[in-house]
Amino acid sequence: MTERQPSAARRRFLGDNPERLGWLFVVPALALVIIFRIVPLIWGFGTSFTDYNGMVAPRFIGLANYASLTHDPVFMDSIVNMLILLATLPIWIGLPLVLAILIHQGVPGGKLFRAVYFFPAVLSSVIVGAIFNMLLRYDGSFNAMLKGIGLSPVDWLGNSSTALFSLIAVQLWATFGMSLLIFLAGLSTVPSDMLEAAKLDGAKLMATWWYIVIPSIRPIIEFAAVVTTIGMLTSMFGLIYVLTAGGPGTSTTLPEFLIWLEQGRMNRPGYASAISMVLFAMMAGLAFIQIRIMSRNASL
Amino acid sequence: MTLTRRALCAGTMLAAAFAVSVGVASADTTLTVWDWKSGDPTTQPYFDAVKKDFEAAHPGVTVKYVMQPHDQYYTLLGTAISAGQGPDVVLLHGGSQTKERTGALVKLDDNIADIKGRIAGWPEFTGADGDAYAVPISIQGFAVYYNKDLWQKAGLDPNKTPKNWADLEAVCAALKKAGTTCFALGNKEGFGADFFLSAVAANGWTAAQQEAWTKGDLKWSSPEVKAIVDAWVATKGAGWYAEGANSTAKFMDEYESFERGENANTIGLISDVAHWMEFDDFLGADKVGVYVMPPVAGGDGSLKLPLAGGIGYGVTNFSPNKDLAIALAKSFADTPHMQVFFESAGAIPADTKVDTSKVESPSAKQILAWLADGVPLAHNNMSTAETEEWHRQSQLLFTGETTVDKALARMDEVQAQAKKK
Repeated sequence: MTERQPSAARRRFLGDNPERLGWLFVVPALALVIIFRIVPLIWGFGTSFTDYNGMVAPRFIGLANYASLTHDPVFMDSIVNMLILLATLPIWIGLPLVLAILIHQGVPGGKLFRAVYFFPAVLSSVIVGAIFNMLLRYDGSFNAMLKGIGLSPVDWLGNSSTALFSLIAVQLWATFGMSLLIFLAGLSTVPSDMLEAAKLDGAKLMATWWYIVIPSIRPIIEFAAVVTTIGMLTSMFGLIYVLTAGGPGTSTTLPEFLIWLEQGRMNRPGYASAISMVLFAMMAGLAFIQIRIMSRNASL
Repeated sequence: MTLTRRALCAGTMLAAAFAVSVGVASADTTLTVWDWKSGDPTTQPYFDAVKKDFEAAHPGVTVKYVMQPHDQYYTLLGTAISAGQGPDVVLLHGGSQTKERTGALVKLDDNIADIKGRIAGWPEFTGADGDAYAVPISIQGFAVYYNKDLWQKAGLDPNKTPKNWADLEAVCAALKKAGTTCFALGNKEGFGADFFLSAVAANGWTAAQQEAWTKGDLKWSSPEVKAIVDAWVATKGAGWYAEGANSTAKFMDEYESFERGENANTIGLISDVAHWMEFDDFLGADKVGVYVMPPVAGGDGSLKLPLAGGIGYGVTNFSPNKDLAIALAKSFADTPHMQVFFESAGAIPADTKVDTSKVESPSAKQILAWLADGVPLAHNNMSTAETEEWHRQSQLLFTGETTVDKALARMDEVQAQAKKK
């Protein structure tokens, strides 16, 4: 058996340095990140210090955009909405985790459930929005059902006290399948001998979950938490756009929706950049804390 | 070796594609037109006629329509303007949508002398400097359409339309008694509140007050405006609308419910959508009536239709072919084209020379008769920031989370800030 040798031309180009080959593989991804992430980020940072309106040349106004953010009630409401959204994180992690453990432990029809739960994750948010628009509108099917069982209908999307939670519930429905799959992958790494040993020792179901399953997939849970948090803050736009348009009032206006509103409809890219920077700083902070926790556990 | 060959193939193909596209661009001129209408079957004959005639008159020029989604139109346009590239000719709404974008548009004054007298609706497309920035193609206005059958069932005379607010209250009370919702209302995006404000203000405010409103001198908390906002809340309290207005889209859920006969009145348009032609199609021309919304207070007793230049075509100042683009914008307002626009889409054209004598719909005849003497559309003269905040406050007034006074105080703040610029 002869080992395949690289051609002379390729050897000339790469030399015998495997590191150089490694760089070659990394460069396309790196270029994409730099062109589409890093450059716009720096650009946006610069724009946030200007009064740019998209038409005439921007003028440097220092921190004025950031100062007006502090007394913009719409921005403040969007931050409060964001915090409410973040407070629901345990549900976004807990629900798929419990379902994943149940499927992993072999409930009847587990494979079917896995497919069914994952199915909404392949739908675009606009389609999900259109479906739930029909279900949740005042004269929609959900209220018809409520009326059928003698309850009074609720304007789920037109009422400030229910609109944000309706939106969160729909987004949760649409995306928890992805976390479920991540957890299932993680659960397959839980050593089965440990589970069996626990069983033989007479450990109860909950004890097995609490002392064996969850600690073994803790890094996976933390990973899912980071990914879910970022998803919550950056990919609700489609749903908001279709279901509530940010209303009633500001009750479903999240920072990302406000950025879009200020940038295009209000012709204030400078101000929108300032909101983007605040959102970026918050997310970077959150991600930093979560990654710190992850690496602390990794070194355990 | 296969890898190298593949890379070479891909490179050659890319280079070829680039060469082809460059070749086409240099041999031909393409004028890109942005709008939110060209894909609509009812307006298709109009857009086709403009394209055909313009391309025939200008050999080597291709007119390319790019239809954008209506509710994202200004966001996308804002992005194109920021980037300084994209469309040569853009469709715009009259009023603040055009006036806030004059910085990105070409002044048309030297080029429109020949059509200025024939076309109506210029003020909505005129910037603060007094120059025109777009050629109007339609007249917009708010009329109240009503379902004569439902009126009759409620014991109302379908030929006796309300002349003042008390009349209208009596109409709604009679309809409510008969179990019919008085007005269709969709306020999910806040458009329902815009229409209400403009329709009710139209005959309640004097010309001087309308002007003060445009300048930002007539405050939201002034009695004239407060009366309308009070009425917005009071009419909800009196049960004029179906539940769920905050989650109903005005376009088109509101109008569809009117067409299904679920409610008796709706504040509609006179352009090419939510208008007499559409309602005639669904309910029958003899079953659709139209009247002007009476003011809640003020006015001299006359009822004039709130009117303004509807939509129009402007030329972007980054267009590489400005002269051609201006010619195209004007071509949209040619009388033969306007005639097609009126006949196929039912839009009231900006061109006063269009022959409307053949129209048979009773509502259309009534609207055409009102056109000679109109009053301004208040919401057209609000800044975008005010409009957005009014959308929010109007919803909160419906959910009861704010009071009229609090909402007006907030609106005053936004108005002062927006009009200060």
